[in-house]
Amino acid sequence: MRRSSAYIPVSTAAALLVTSSTLFFVFTCPWLAVNVSPVFPPCVGIVFLFVMANFIMATFMDAGVFPRANEDEDKDEDFRAPLYKNVEVRGVQVRMKWCASCHFYRPPRCSHCSVCDQCVEDFDHHCPWVNNCIGRRNYRFFFLFLLSLTLHMVGVFSGGLLYVLDHPENLWELHTAVALAVMSVSALFFIPVLGLSCFHLVLVARGRTTNEQVTGKFQGGVNPFTRGCCQNVQFVLFSPITPRYTEKLGERLPLHIQPPFHQPESHKLSPDGSVLSQILPVKSLEEVDAPDSKSLTCPPPLPPKPDPVLLKNHLAALEESLLQSRALMLSGHSMNPLQTSESPTKVLYQVPRDQMGSRISPLVPQEHASEPSLLQPENHANALTLNSRSLSLKHSSRRGSQRAEIPHASQSVLSGRTGSLSYDSLLHPAGVQPAFLPMDPGLSRGCVDVQRLPARNCSPVFMHINREPSPVRYDSLPKPLMSSIQERREPDDKDKPMQDSGIYDTPSRRSLPQDLRGLSSSRGPTPPAYGSREFLLSSAAYGYGSRSHLSSSSSSSLTRAPRTTSSPLHFNRSLSPSIYQSLDRQSQLPPSTLPAPLPTSSYGPQKALAYIRGGERPEPEL
Amino acid sequence: MATEFHNLQELRHSASLATKVFIQRDYRDSTICKFQTKFPAELDSRIERSLFEETLKTLNCYYAEAEKIGGQSYLEGCLACATAYIIFLCMETRYEKILKKISMYIQEQNEKIYAPRGLLLTDPIERGMRVIEISIFEDSGSTSSSSSGSSPSSSTAQ
Repeated sequence: MRRSSAYIPVSTAAALLVTSSTLFFVFTCPWLAVNVSPVFPPCVGIVFLFVMANFIMATFMDAGVFPRANEDEDKDEDFRAPLYKNVEVRGVQVRMKWCASCHFYRPPRCSHCSVCDQCVEDFDHHCPWVNNCIGRRNYRFFFLFLLSLTLHMVGVFSGGLLYVLDHPENLWELHTAVALAVMSVSALFFIPVLGLSCFHLVLVARGRTTNEQVTGKFQGGVNPFTRGCCQNVQFVLFSPITPRYTEKLGERLPLHIQPPFHQPESHKLSPDGSVLSQILPVKSLEEVDAPDSKSLTCPPPLPPKPDPVLLKNHLAALEESLLQSRALMLSGHSMNPLQTSESPTKVLYQVPRDQMGSRISPLVPQEHASEPSLLQPENHANALTLNSRSLSLKHSSRRGSQRAEIPHASQSVLSGRTGSLSYDSLLHPAGVQPAFLPMDPGLSRGCVDVQRLPARNCSPVFMHINREPSPVRYDSLPKPLMSSIQERREPDDKDKPMQDSGIYDTPSRRSLPQDLRGLSSSRGPTPPAYGSREFLLSSAAYGYGSRSHLSSSSSSSLTRAPRTTSSPLHFNRSLSPSIYQSLDRQSQLPPSTLPAPLPTSSYGPQKALAYIRGGERPEPEL
Repeated sequence: MATEFHNLQELRHSASLATKVFIQRDYRDSTICKFQTKFPAELDSRIERSLFEETLKTLNCYYAEAEKIGGQSYLEGCLACATAYIIFLCMETRYEKILKKISMYIQEQNEKIYAPRGLLLTDPIERGMRVIEISIFEDSGSTSSSSSGSSPSSSTAQ
């Protein structure tokens, strides 16, 4: 609702225009018709009608207002999006600015009007004399209004002058006085109106808007929007009027969307062929519409935090066991512990063993086989765990109130599941890992969103992590220790990116089936070891109580992150380059990953610190 | 997966909105209305690339035709001026006619191609012609009749 004072200029302009013209027609035109020409008054009349028509159109026509963006569209933009996005227009880089009010990147030439509080397409200026924005849809009316008003003023002034010159002795007579008054008003406003008309003539010829001219956008550079003088004039005057964007749309026919859905021919599931694409629908889903997702329930409350002293003791024990287990892994006898593994693998993959085994085994021969069934709701917990962790990292600095919810989700998930990976699933990379979507913007909406995310993104990092069957000693150690060991091993692992230097590295790369190794190597210089460590660190860092330690560097990296295209894991880059670059690369891998023995959420705050430190280290391999 | 359930009459499916993909405008040719034809990764397993690209190319053609400055647009402009723009109250402009065509085309595409694949195109006019919104639905699981009283449900979109 605009202030009532905003209506003063438009009312004044309208009143002056109508009153002066009416007086001219009533008092001066009869004499002009008789003594000058009978054509003169009708011409002035037509011009006046044209002025009024354009004035009314410029006043009441929608300038090309963009409606506010829906929540769905901007939910991945608000927190991490940079302020500007570059786009190329005819070879010239144009900056699109994020509009905080309208929640989208303003298209080129669009600007937000502070008076109207709307983004306007091809924004020219906000004109107080018509009390309206001048934009793409009504610029021609405004321009024609100016031109026709100039012409009308010239006609009225000249008609009045002729009359006054013919009646010099009766200057105080009514008709003469009125003619003089009309002449004065015309003369008073003629100069500014003429100036404005000439200004807009030049703008139209150069293909610029007032906004661009005044802000000096193209002063030293090239205007990519110009088409040449004639084409610019043609565009302004004769281009079709674009539709109103804010109009209420008519009723549409209802459309029923009912599964089962058709699959593309190349992605049909077959026993022999790759089922990679089967996983992609879920894998690529990166945004979840909160109100529509019903598959997950709210998480239970967070379990109590571990004792730091106890954690340290456990850490030492875990480290020792890991050293031993590492030797075992390298020797290739690491498969056996899988069957006896307990808490780590159970925690990581809370999938009923029988389900995993039965679903994965038929796909075992497939190198890239993914297990769509793994993405069933029962797998959501696993994805939930990861997603909640990553979510907490991403939004730790922004949503303190939501932080507590995320570990809740992970804790509940972990505690609620009792299944464990089947030996077969761990042996063969046929299983699809629970979705790891650290940067899913949808998760920022709260725990409910986090839970809904699940199972929709497969993390190839899992594959790397869990290629090495978890050593038997992992099972007996508390999770916080594992991340500590991760932390300690990081410097070593950095030096030997391709070697098996960590618990969650892929020392088994040597022991992996040839196809898997080929698979990873064919994907480029991905250091799975590092990536897996990073990943585990990140997941470890989201144990309860670790959120407070997420550094501002992580959050600042969010805002600095360049906006990328809609790849599921592209968001990761803004969060932690080292971690998510590896994840991003690995996201290009087929999701034929083994479940990784992720540490559970029982990590203390120091693990979060470890994560952050690890995350900030430069990643030479990447 | 679809074939598994065809014979199981007692199983019912429901779809839920999973995510949305936004096809942005292509500004390379200045501010004319044109959408990027780059195939989004999220649709890779849901629809054939050729179908998607054909839809987008057709839409771009429609918009290009709507915004073409030619004989008809000159006629409309002059007529509008001559009638002091009263003609806008009586007649539909060419752009509006093409927009209706576009709306019908999108509806038809949704019915024939996208809805069977669990996708839904949203007319860009609803988003200010800035994006084409593609909603991706997924099968939110089946409910069998044995689990008492579940009835078939489907997502309806308008």
